[in-house]
Amino acid sequence: MDLSNDTVIKVEGLHKKFCRHLRRSMFYGTLDVSRDMLGLSYRADRLRPSEFWALENVGFELKRSEALGVIGSNGSGKTTLLRILNGIFPPDGGQVAIRGRMGALIAVGAGFHPNMTGRENIRLNGTILGMTRREIAERFDAIVDFADIGEFLEAPVATYSSGMTVRLGFAIAVHAAPEILLADEVLAVGDLRFALKCYRKIAEYRRNGGALLLVSHSMQLVRNVCHRTLWLEHGRVKQLGETQDVCDAYERDVLQRSVAISSREEIVRVNLDPQVSIAQVEFLDAQGAVCNAFPVGAAFRVRIHYAAQRRVVRPIFSIALLTVENITVVANHSNFDAPEMCGDIEGRGCVDFAIRSLALKPGSYGCTVILAEGSLDNNLEWHERAYRFAVINAADTHMNGLYQPDVCWEKGVS
Amino acid sequence: MPEPTPLPSTPAARELVIYAPDSRRCMSFWRSLQVMTGNIFRSHELIRQLFIRDYLAVHKKSFLGFAWILLAPVVATLSWLFMNAAGVLQPGTTGVPYPVYVLVGTTLWGLFTGFYQSATQTLTAAQGYILQVHYPHEALLVKQALEQIVNFSVALLVNLLAFLWFGVRPHWMIVLLPVTTLPLFFLGAGLGLIISVLGVVATEFRRVCEVAIGLVLFITPVLYNPAAIGPRFQAVVRWNPLTHLLETARSTMLTGTVPDPLAFALSALFALLVFLLAWRLFFVSEHRVIEKLF
Repeated sequence: MDLSNDTVIKVEGLHKKFCRHLRRSMFYGTLDVSRDMLGLSYRADRLRPSEFWALENVGFELKRSEALGVIGSNGSGKTTLLRILNGIFPPDGGQVAIRGRMGALIAVGAGFHPNMTGRENIRLNGTILGMTRREIAERFDAIVDFADIGEFLEAPVATYSSGMTVRLGFAIAVHAAPEILLADEVLAVGDLRFALKCYRKIAEYRRNGGALLLVSHSMQLVRNVCHRTLWLEHGRVKQLGETQDVCDAYERDVLQRSVAISSREEIVRVNLDPQVSIAQVEFLDAQGAVCNAFPVGAAFRVRIHYAAQRRVVRPIFSIALLTVENITVVANHSNFDAPEMCGDIEGRGCVDFAIRSLALKPGSYGCTVILAEGSLDNNLEWHERAYRFAVINAADTHMNGLYQPDVCWEKGVS
Repeated sequence: MPEPTPLPSTPAARELVIYAPDSRRCMSFWRSLQVMTGNIFRSHELIRQLFIRDYLAVHKKSFLGFAWILLAPVVATLSWLFMNAAGVLQPGTTGVPYPVYVLVGTTLWGLFTGFYQSATQTLTAAQGYILQVHYPHEALLVKQALEQIVNFSVALLVNLLAFLWFGVRPHWMIVLLPVTTLPLFFLGAGLGLIISVLGVVATEFRRVCEVAIGLVLFITPVLYNPAAIGPRFQAVVRWNPLTHLLETARSTMLTGTVPDPLAFALSALFALLVFLLAWRLFFVSEHRVIEKLF
């Protein structure tokens, strides 16, 4: 395989298979080991019973100074990919070519001995990560400084807090000066001060020509750090391209899936008057079409269909919109917002609740709809978070708050 | 803020590494030997650090510390002496006082089983980081063997003290011990390496081998002189390669003789072949085994 001058990782047609059943997996293992030993060739690119592709036909390239994000749901093959790149698992098909020293920020501090002091563990871990004795001596002070372990340097690692252990592990790993850095969710560790230090260190490392492969579930982190992103799904490449495009597509997919899942969930409905009911609730877009996913800032309308077999005097319609974490972001009652609309109702009909600009953070939201009569405590029907919709990030924005209004920055005069 | 760490640009660091299916299986036997030996030489610092970690750090917490290494052979010898005094053992004439004979025998046997045991743990001893960090695992085998050699050296000191006590003068050929015990390393480490690989994919192998080694102790003249036993049993003992490896190592220490040079040479050759076979097995299948470890 040829690598252009700037390329540090090139993966082509990568396949990896695993076995679902433990006993069978051991049997295949024995078989493969025997064949390896006897030098017999066999078709590794075919699946045997109970086997599945953990990675199937994965390909990408990573260049110097570049950061590639790897995203995907649990079980999509991200960790397997990292292990193959790191040379721990062999591929079952395709090829991986790597040029340069590889460093892994996966389970930092693995290999620490609890009885040994911080000083001894720096020497040990540095050596495991491929540093020479001289390199360790040269960078020793920088490591201690970065890890910020102070007087604990001469204490056994067993006496360290978990945060200190991780800080020390991370400090050693980044000072091993790899040309390629594989990172798996590690930046989520430590306190804020240390996390910020890590970001700065990684930025500096990239400026010096280092390449980064970052596996993360945090879209914010991937958006901030990575140029390009690889989206894995069931071991296959679903999308590979500009981070913004891939992350948006991924988020849309996750949201739509979560809406689809929750729409199958049992709807919580309480009816206290059999003669009156909320017959149907729909979400409508600006054109009045039924819709379940709305871009940030789009017009949003909830249509509540009711059926009343008797006259309902001074009906009150209430609506609440909630995040998945159960934070109420919108809660409105028709009697306060539109007292003129409080005329009695009978038979079938509908009312609309409209938001001109749905300035919410992309995510999945639940909607609670309530019909009461006369006062808010006289409920007739209550649909608790019975409806779901998604807000998607259609525009290229970098806002992270729950409320995403139309904003601008201006230079002030002091 | 610490100084930025420059990235290495040496040719070694920019070497192209290719991972492909079967890349190890397709490598020739001699080439794989070269690769592994090269890895060991390059990893000398890693071996040193792992040795410090696993050998020295373990004793930090115990009150007796390194006295444990001395205690093991002494206690083992005492138990055999007790059995001898009780008349359970009939070792035959041993040429030297029986305690010395047994002490040397058990020390050598301990070296063999130590090599075996530590080699079986080549992959499992590093469970904490074998899935996280990439490094040559051959280094672990060497580190494990080094621990055994240090244990053996300490036990040898106990032997020499016993020599003094019983008025036995070791032959100058005792200096050849590194050569005469080398086949014990080949056989023990070879069997251990095979088990370190096969024992993961089929756990039965590990158990069968452990039971077998326990039995082999009795068909190896560790505790008795083979001349003192019946002819049928003697044939079994004679076909056991360990008999010749152990007897040669012991005789050179005590009398400076090699009882059966041809049998020793053949046994040593057998041990070397087992080791080379195991080495190759380890090379082609270690990654496949690591996959199944967890």
